[in-house]
Amino acid sequence: MNKYSTDVKSVVKKDNTPLACDDITVVTAGQGGDGSVTVITLLAWALAQRGLHLFSANDIASRIKGGHAAAALRSSRNYRGCLGDNVDILVAFDGEAIEKNGQYLGAESVVIYDTSRGPLPKKFIPDTTRIIEIPFSRFSVRELRRDLFKNCLGFGVLARVMGLSDEEAHASIRHRFKRLTAENIKPNIQALELGFEFAAGHKILTKEEAQSDHGLYKLPHLEREDRIMISGNDATAFGFLAAGGRFFAGYPITPATDIMNWLEKRLPAFGGVVIQGEDELAAINMAIGAALSGAKAMTASSGPGIALMQESVGHCGSAEIPLVIVDCQRAGPSTGMPTKLEQNDLGMLTQGSNGDFPHIVLSPGSPQECFDYGVLATNLSQAAQCPVYIALDGLCQFTYTIPAFDLGDVKIDNGKRLTDEQLAKMSEYQRYAITEDGISPFAVPGQPGGMNLVTGNERNPWGLVSTDPVNRVAMMDKRARKIESVKHQLPIGYIWGDDNAKVGVICMGMIGDVLTEASERLAEKNIAVRCHRPRTLWPILDDTIEFVRECERVYVVECNDSGQLARLIKGAGAPADKIESILQYDGLFMRPGSLVNAILEKEKAL
Amino acid sequence: MTTTYRPGQPIWCSGCGHYGVQGALKYALTALNISACDTMILSGIGCSGTMQNNLGTYGYHTMHGRVLPTATGTALANPDLTVIAAGGDGDGYAIGAGHFVHALKRNPSLVYIVMNNGTYGLTKGQDSPTKNGPKWAPAEEGFDAMMLGLSIASSSFLARGFSGDPKQLNSLMVKALEHARSGKGLALLEVMSPCVTYNDTYPEWDAMTRDVKTQDSYDSNDKATAFATCIRMKQSGQIPTGIIYQGEHPTLESAMVNPKLNKMSKLVKNNSGCQGELDAILNGYRI
Ligand SMILES: Cc1ncc(C[n+]2csc(CCOP(=O)(O)OP(=O)(O)O)c2C)c(N)n1
Ligand code: SF4
Ligand SMILES: [Mg+2]
Repeated sequence: MNKYSTDVKSVVKKDNTPLACDDITVVTAGQGGDGSVTVITLLAWALAQRGLHLFSANDIASRIKGGHAAAALRSSRNYRGCLGDNVDILVAFDGEAIEKNGQYLGAESVVIYDTSRGPLPKKFIPDTTRIIEIPFSRFSVRELRRDLFKNCLGFGVLARVMGLSDEEAHASIRHRFKRLTAENIKPNIQALELGFEFAAGHKILTKEEAQSDHGLYKLPHLEREDRIMISGNDATAFGFLAAGGRFFAGYPITPATDIMNWLEKRLPAFGGVVIQGEDELAAINMAIGAALSGAKAMTASSGPGIALMQESVGHCGSAEIPLVIVDCQRAGPSTGMPTKLEQNDLGMLTQGSNGDFPHIVLSPGSPQECFDYGVLATNLSQAAQCPVYIALDGLCQFTYTIPAFDLGDVKIDNGKRLTDEQLAKMSEYQRYAITEDGISPFAVPGQPGGMNLVTGNERNPWGLVSTDPVNRVAMMDKRARKIESVKHQLPIGYIWGDDNAKVGVICMGMIGDVLTEASERLAEKNIAVRCHRPRTLWPILDDTIEFVRECERVYVVECNDSGQLARLIKGAGAPADKIESILQYDGLFMRPGSLVNAILEKEKAL
Repeated sequence: MTTTYRPGQPIWCSGCGHYGVQGALKYALTALNISACDTMILSGIGCSGTMQNNLGTYGYHTMHGRVLPTATGTALANPDLTVIAAGGDGDGYAIGAGHFVHALKRNPSLVYIVMNNGTYGLTKGQDSPTKNGPKWAPAEEGFDAMMLGLSIASSSFLARGFSGDPKQLNSLMVKALEHARSGKGLALLEVMSPCVTYNDTYPEWDAMTRDVKTQDSYDSNDKATAFATCIRMKQSGQIPTGIIYQGEHPTLESAMVNPKLNKMSKLVKNNSGCQGELDAILNGYRI
């Protein structure tokens, strides 16, 4: 008999065959600082070693300690870039964790509950839930003198439930704490083994199930590929760096701060600079000052900060300054819900600032695209000498396992940046020379013979202020031509699903992978859909309009309250009567099941 | 030789103080033999925000109030440049006031010239932050940039000139440029530069300006005595001018820019120089 078993209540499992499982979602939740993220990190590493695909999403209040925090990990045989409908295993460090996540538990789900802060609030979970109650925190303090180790203890129980071997669990701890001395890793290992012991003493697992490599689930062992696990924010910052990005200025704001932190750690080794401004106006203008001197520059923010930057974005468009701006969209309006996701800045990104000016809005839908567009935005900003936005949504914070980036594939485009030799050969140099493609050669301060004037006022080719009507029209037209000239480089929509379907579904960013799963399930119900995810939001490209034309009806799925993407597409010329919106704006993840239901409802109502 | 833009002609009202400022800047650039191609003049928006057009250097017309963060970005990206920010008192002390404080705190090596005329010239004469008793708030005292500068621990060069005293102004401009160009930090030069059209203060300021050198045992290396003396001068109706303070403080770029690695402003065509470092980053994500 295990010495802790008296403390442990349990519900006996009905039959003893482990559940073969190709797709399993684990959520850990508790107060910030409870270690929810650590448990998920430990589990992720172990499952990745088995060749499973991983998707992880954290839902953390903006404070470091305190506030409810949850981390979710989905692991699957096939790539899944979103959370599924259900939570299979919930590791809860308090009652609030149950209250918030109970609704996602399926009939067969397992709850591992830390009773240290009070009894499990049963009314929030299905009757059939299998419950493992263990006072992690109390045991951790009692046995290891620190509350801190309860995360490894919880991981031990979780490992047993999920059928991981002892070696897999140990390896994960060793990997997670590889920077610690052997002495300091020890209590973590002890905590893990305590977890094993609890599980063994627990009636929910039979003696056999409670052994290494057994458990309630049977997860596959797959062939391992060369994968990385990365978030949209990190991938975007990495793309910028790989494209030669060297100057970043920002101002802290959730969820864009990751980008500043990432670059702050890495840019100096590349001769770059990261600086935190006194506000977003300073941030974007510092980046402009650097961009004008020839540095490849970027800033990043979220809704409120991007709103403050608007004057400067239009200025870059007018003055022809290359700049990359990342918008990690969050739920607005105003301060809104800082830690919740939305896709709600499209009006500002496409039509913000005063006047008409050339700019581009890219919309990645996976970390690979975040990296690619980090490169592309940097290159395009140079090629077209204009501001280029990267519109991120929840995917900025999600982490995914994907094939490792091919760094050898990265090309650097300097556009019409002049070398000193080219400049010396020119008989005259005009910063705003009118050219066929609208793009003027670019000399930067320090280059002999390249002296020029840059301004946001309308100006003549020399850069001298001018309100001459003929010049004005020529200059507006020249700037507009730049976008035409780089249009072939803009990513067209990603198309998938059933080519012959009459029903089309359009979405952007993080919803792409939700739609993939939803469309597979719809196909099982004999509802065929064709899917389209535009990857350039400004300008809206012809293929998106064409897609709407080809379908009988089109649902535009997006996370905002007014159908911003639908409005954009209609505005670009898509037949408005074919388009209907499916909207979610409660700040929660969109689940494939709810999207299936929404589409089914619309189809039924026809 | 490549032909570049023909420097513009000033567009100021005749008699405007800004002519004096431009004259002094031109004098100093010539006196120090600074080449036009290594000079970047960034201007604010206002009547004062047109000087960059007139001197044949690289020039950039920033947004209203944003000249300091922009100049900071330029100075960090290419510390070899002579970076000169120039703007009005509205530009620098009203809409750009937040940046002003932080630029003094950061101490990047650049020259910041503020043309103080107590008014918004370009928008036709509204009172500016330096005006005593502005129309809408008669009890308000004008803002004094030198006093603010003295209160910031990392400020390294604070000077005030007067357009009506070109001799002093020329010398201050040279000193300001020398300070920034030798990598000693931000050289703030405020110039009392009357707006003859909306706030003609020439006679008044002629009478009020007094070089701090004339004060007994003034030590421009000591912020405490500088502060006390300037307050006393103001209380007796004088405007302190000259080198209000000059000292040493680490600069922004000394902490942030690695001159050996920084090729930010150079044209780089591929990643051959940093492939190993990029690979190492990717490795950190392998799972
Ligand atoms: C964001 C913004 N707000 C307002 C203006 C209008 N504006 C142009 S110049 C100016 C004030 C200029 O005053 P100052 O900086 O003192 O320069 P001066 O003309 O006196 O030399 C204002 C308010 C603007 N260009 N941009
Ligand atoms: S309005 Fe005033 S500041 Fe502007 S140019 Fe005329 S005199 Fe100078
Ligand atoms: Mg003024």
